[in-house]
Amino acid sequence: MTTEFIMPALEMAQDTGKILRWLKSEGAQVIKGEPIMEIETDKVTVEIEATTSGVLSNGTAREGDVIPVGQTIALIVEDPKGFVNPSGLSASPVARKIAEEHRVDLARVKPTGGRIEKADVIAYLNKDPKGLPNPSGLVPASPKARRLASERGIDLATLRGSGPDGAIIANDVLNMSATYTLAPARAGSPHPSTPLRSAQDADISTVWRVMAERMTTSWTTVPHFFLTRDVDATALVELRARIAPIIAKRSGVKPTYTDLLVKLIAIALRDHPRVNASWMDNTIKLNDAINIGIATALEDGLIVPVVHRADALAIGEIATRRKDIVERAGANKLKPADIAGGTFTLTNLGMYNVDAFSAIINAPQAAILAVGRIAERVIAIKGQPAVRPMLTLTLSSDHRVVDGARAAQFLDALANLIEEPFALLA
Amino acid sequence: MSDREITFAEAIREALAEEMRRDARVFIFGEDVAEAGTPFKVLSGLVEEFGTARVIDTPISEPGFSGIGVGAAMTGMRPVVDLMFGDFLTLAMDQIANQAAKVHYMSGGKLNVPMVFRTTMGATRRSAAQHSQSLHAWVSHIPGLKVAIPSTPYDAKGLLKTAIRDNNPVVFFEDKMMFKMKGVVPTDDYTIPFGVADVKRAGSDITLVATSSMVQVALGAAEMLAQIGIGAEVIDPRTTLPLDKKTCIESAKKTSRAIVIDEGYEQYGVTAEIASVIAEGAFYYLDAPVKRMGALNVPVPFSPTLEDVTVPTEQTVFEMARMLCGKS
Repeated sequence: MTTEFIMPALEMAQDTGKILRWLKSEGAQVIKGEPIMEIETDKVTVEIEATTSGVLSNGTAREGDVIPVGQTIALIVEDPKGFVNPSGLSASPVARKIAEEHRVDLARVKPTGGRIEKADVIAYLNKDPKGLPNPSGLVPASPKARRLASERGIDLATLRGSGPDGAIIANDVLNMSATYTLAPARAGSPHPSTPLRSAQDADISTVWRVMAERMTTSWTTVPHFFLTRDVDATALVELRARIAPIIAKRSGVKPTYTDLLVKLIAIALRDHPRVNASWMDNTIKLNDAINIGIATALEDGLIVPVVHRADALAIGEIATRRKDIVERAGANKLKPADIAGGTFTLTNLGMYNVDAFSAIINAPQAAILAVGRIAERVIAIKGQPAVRPMLTLTLSSDHRVVDGARAAQFLDALANLIEEPFALLA
Repeated sequence: MSDREITFAEAIREALAEEMRRDARVFIFGEDVAEAGTPFKVLSGLVEEFGTARVIDTPISEPGFSGIGVGAAMTGMRPVVDLMFGDFLTLAMDQIANQAAKVHYMSGGKLNVPMVFRTTMGATRRSAAQHSQSLHAWVSHIPGLKVAIPSTPYDAKGLLKTAIRDNNPVVFFEDKMMFKMKGVVPTDDYTIPFGVADVKRAGSDITLVATSSMVQVALGAAEMLAQIGIGAEVIDPRTTLPLDKKTCIESAKKTSRAIVIDEGYEQYGVTAEIASVIAEGAFYYLDAPVKRMGALNVPVPFSPTLEDVTVPTEQTVFEMARMLCGKS
């Protein structure tokens, strides 16, 4: 009994997965449920477990390979007798010869018996032309799909084909252009590393590539506008100072200004549903839940883990959740659900002593709030100079969803909450 | 009277009789055409009306009587030569391809060959390898000829009248298995122009270009496809030479997928020609390879079980269309 081990689909829009690391080597005995490899999708890194017990065999993908979802990566053989050579494949000499002549990768041929025989290769050649090597390196696609993709400036390599033999057909292109979808990494093997690589080239991770594509799409298609507001953070500083020990004692997590802001933003969004919305299919979609994403810098790019239903969480709960997702983001251990469903994003560069900045919207969300550091500044209060801890908020909004007045009303409500956070209790 | 139904054989017979009444130069000759009315009884009754001077039995010599036909046409008659089985075209081929097809050109336009070679095609009649072939591709290859290949009684009558009135040699193929098929045929005099395809069924998901009896197969498959939500458009070119390329291409552009179904051998066949026309003309509109379904590339078996699998069926066309449309 041989079980095919395929690249799983972990997310709705996932087309490919990148093999980061084999945790089990060829020929190793694996037990059902045991992690056998680590893969990276557009957004997360996940350990993949064996679907059955047996001997891991016919592993065709190398670390670093980007594999289309659904493609067989390895076999798990329950009866390992047929696999004489655990490091390679068991095939008859005739089968090897035919496979070589037709440039068939034997790893793709499924033996009917213990080893691959001539008949297996012939059956493969007859039945499975999609497995044939693609010497041109072209993505299989219909002429119509090619024309539509070219007209729309879409790279076919970023699509998954639903046509015969996995070919990309017109609908795949039309669906791609109709919905906001991320372009994943190019399917197939990564570029072979060249020894004389240019010094300027940096390896680009999937996370970085997705960030690049997502930011380009947002910046070039979403009509941004920006509102800036300075707020007095005196009360916020005081609030944090007073509740931090209580929360730390209760849960062991010390709340940050980010945690407080997540809570205040979520509360403010309750009264401003248009800011908690999306531009979808030429209409405004109001989101039911208030899910605040926290922009998190990683070594190889930006990721936005989400605090779901933040308006219903206590600050302590937000802190615990934030600590968990940010830590797991750093360890590449986020699950797809951790980054799904965000409706508004907070990005905070205060820890880098940035005073203020403008952020690119995390489409299809309607807005993103950029906050700088809390620093003492001299301000005028009732005609007198005073020194107060100040914070600058910059709200970027999608003008298709939010107009200037609505954005300003939201920003005003948020500023008032920051200046008087005890209103939460009112 | 306009919705009167008659058989395919009756439609052929009516066309011949009406043209013979209309034009005294029209006459029929070939093997067993007079008293026997051909083995398929297509010509029954004609000798009674027109006599043995205009419905003439010939010896068993296709090259001979085909040559006589070409000569008669060159000298002012409008003969309809009956070649009992399409397989016998091989015997008459020099007269058809080298004489009839070339005379107008080689005489500098001084001579015409206004004649019709009526012959048959189609397998599954248990007639074995030498009486079951569909060789219309052979003659469709030759400039100077016209080739009609009707799929319904209505088309058969209209196309045969056009063939008889045409001043060029026309090879006219009748599927043996369709002679008993009934269809609506008006009583009034009508003709159908050559090179004009007919959309037998409209659809938007896949184009089935089919000829002769394969049109009926395609219509059956289209009905099955409709059950699973696939709208098939069935195009009948009606003449393979001249070929209505435009209709085939436009339909394929509309549906993005096409299958060409024809009962001739698949290799180097009518399916190949039409598929290439579509591939070239609709290339940037195609969402799947243009598929061909012809007869298997084997001598037609005498065994009924084997013979039946050599030609496309409603089921095989249905399966192919479903596959191309990505519905499993």
